Amino acid sequence: MKGKLCKIVWGVVLCLAVFISVGPGMAADPIPIGILGPFTGSLAFNAEEMKKGMVLAVDEVNAKGGLFGRKVELIYGDTEAKPDKGVAAVKKLITRDKVFVVGGGYASSVNIATSEVCQNEKTPIVVAIAISPTITNRGFDYVFRTSPNSPQFLAGMNDWLEKVKKPKTVAFLMENTDYGRDGEKIWSAQSKKIGAKELAHLYFEIGDTDFTTQISKLRELKPEVTFNIASTTEAALIQKQAKELNFVTQWIGVGGQFTEAFFKMAGTLCQYAMGSSLEPTLAMKNPIVADFVKRYEAKYQKARPGIFSSQGYDNIMVIMDAIQRIGKLTGDLQKDRDAIRDNLKKTSIELTQGKIEFDKTGQVYTVVPSPVQVQIVDGKPQLFIVYPPERAGSAYQEPLPWDKRKI
Amino acid sequence: MESLFVQQVFNGLIVGSIYGLIAIGLTMIFGVMKIANFAHGDFSMLGAYCAIYFITLLSGWTGWLGSLIVAAAGVGLVGFFVEKFLFRPLLTRWTDIDIIMLSIGLFILLENGARLVFGTAPKMIPDPFGSKGVNLLFFSTSLIRLLCFLFSIACILCLQLFLTKTKMGVAIRATSQNRNAALLMGIDIRFIYSLTFVVGSALAGLGGVLYGTIFAVFPMMGAMPTLKAFAITILGGMGNIRGAIFGGFILGVAETLGGNYISMQYKNAIGFIIIILVLLIIPHGLFGGKERK
Repeated sequence: MKGKLCKIVWGVVLCLAVFISVGPGMAADPIPIGILGPFTGSLAFNAEEMKKGMVLAVDEVNAKGGLFGRKVELIYGDTEAKPDKGVAAVKKLITRDKVFVVGGGYASSVNIATSEVCQNEKTPIVVAIAISPTITNRGFDYVFRTSPNSPQFLAGMNDWLEKVKKPKTVAFLMENTDYGRDGEKIWSAQSKKIGAKELAHLYFEIGDTDFTTQISKLRELKPEVTFNIASTTEAALIQKQAKELNFVTQWIGVGGQFTEAFFKMAGTLCQYAMGSSLEPTLAMKNPIVADFVKRYEAKYQKARPGIFSSQGYDNIMVIMDAIQRIGKLTGDLQKDRDAIRDNLKKTSIELTQGKIEFDKTGQVYTVVPSPVQVQIVDGKPQLFIVYPPERAGSAYQEPLPWDKRKI
Repeated sequence: MESLFVQQVFNGLIVGSIYGLIAIGLTMIFGVMKIANFAHGDFSMLGAYCAIYFITLLSGWTGWLGSLIVAAAGVGLVGFFVEKFLFRPLLTRWTDIDIIMLSIGLFILLENGARLVFGTAPKMIPDPFGSKGVNLLFFSTSLIRLLCFLFSIACILCLQLFLTKTKMGVAIRATSQNRNAALLMGIDIRFIYSLTFVVGSALAGLGGVLYGTIFAVFPMMGAMPTLKAFAITILGGMGNIRGAIFGGFILGVAETLGGNYISMQYKNAIGFIIIILVLLIIPHGLFGGKERK
């Protein structure tokens, strides 16, 4: 009996010890920042790229002593690229992990839902990768975004379509999500403006692998330009299956597809594909970008930073900058969250994507993507800005039929 | 327009043959052992990863053919151990729920394990012919797609021969039709169970390599073939191999034609609409007959 009692007492003591050690309010506690992203699922690779950029930034800040002598800790919430999972994840970050601010986020459909939760909970959210205009145009004052929205993303491309390409026929092949449909809306309007005939609007689901049905139909219709609003895996498979079905068109994507994995999968098959991009390696003349690429490659051996690593890096840098400018944390979570929100509004910082400043809706307006094209140099696919002329690294190349391509 | 129709039918047949190959393994295992294996598609994923690692050792089409053999053997081996150590202890208890739970658990384990071991980046099994195209009278495709199609047809024919012409194949069919009668005829049921699971898993592995060659290889890739294989199995009749073969082709063609002429958005839904209709109208499936209860 005595032994049993002893065990119970020890058990209680241990439980108490655990409780005390995780209790709040200790001075050396790290500063928690919530990071949303589809860390599992078919977009996991892209989220991983974003995370790498973020970890690079946070490790550098922590190595220099963190913020106010406290380390910054990233707490991840997995959205699986599904709005319902995203809402559950962000609620946990806000109420249980008590994060000061939520960053990251990938996929428009998810961010439309999670940003609304943050607004209701009065917690600032800075969206890293999502282009649907809806996210910032609902008058929410706790919502910010460090990536261009779809009109901004596509402005340069629209200009190019109107002044250089002038296609007579176009078609659409896109993800059946807010990402796909918002891009479709903009390009559909642009097609009407330049008098191009819209031959087809075809959709697919995230995670689809067989696009032969859609591509066979497109081949029958022969559009000059096909808008392909897809992510890495789907976009690479579409390029491959286009070759298999002998279909030639000028593919135009948003740019989120041009990741390291995309080039590994599609290889030279993606020659001539175009998109609006913010690839950090494009503007190597910029010392900030060059420095970022160097540090990134030093930290992750053999890895090449893509658009998502750079967007993730900038996103977390903006958040840490806003926290830094508070001066010190009050200990009252809501007051601190509001102070961070007020500081975010006044953000003005030069980062890898360019200068970041927010307009009244919380949308960055200073980051400008350009139309890029995949061209083959020394047998390897590379991205070049092709418009406007003053920024172009190479001239636009018209897609050749498959049997005339040298590769 | 006629050529578009032919093209779409052909697209459907190619995809259908691969789904059919995966579904045959599923339906065999169900027919003989009454196990609904929700991790079946993940065996395909394992096969695809086997191929990815093996194909770097040999070059050209020998590497591709070799990777098919390695994948079938490797996944067959995994199937052997999974049956022996996981499913067999549960089979004696004869409750369906814990077998289903086990296979769902296995599916989660394999998928997350793959993410940990192989990483999340999608990969492709390199095409030994460099996506070389083939343009026939009414349609075009790639050489590798045509080969995958022919290969899965060949596999299906070999399996049919095995099941009808060999003693072991007859024993498998006998066990599937009536377990107790087979036992009384002196058939070693435990061996048949093991054999069925190994053959079924190996077919899933082969299907995975074909799927990974035409499409892509990533840890989550098993989910879609699992769902399609269940749709096909229900369509053709649970446990019916002929049903799985025709079910695969019917689903593949129904999806492409439905996508082309009805709506692209509902392309994936067609499989599930078929499941619901079949369950409502002909619950035994197209080839189910009434031999099973």
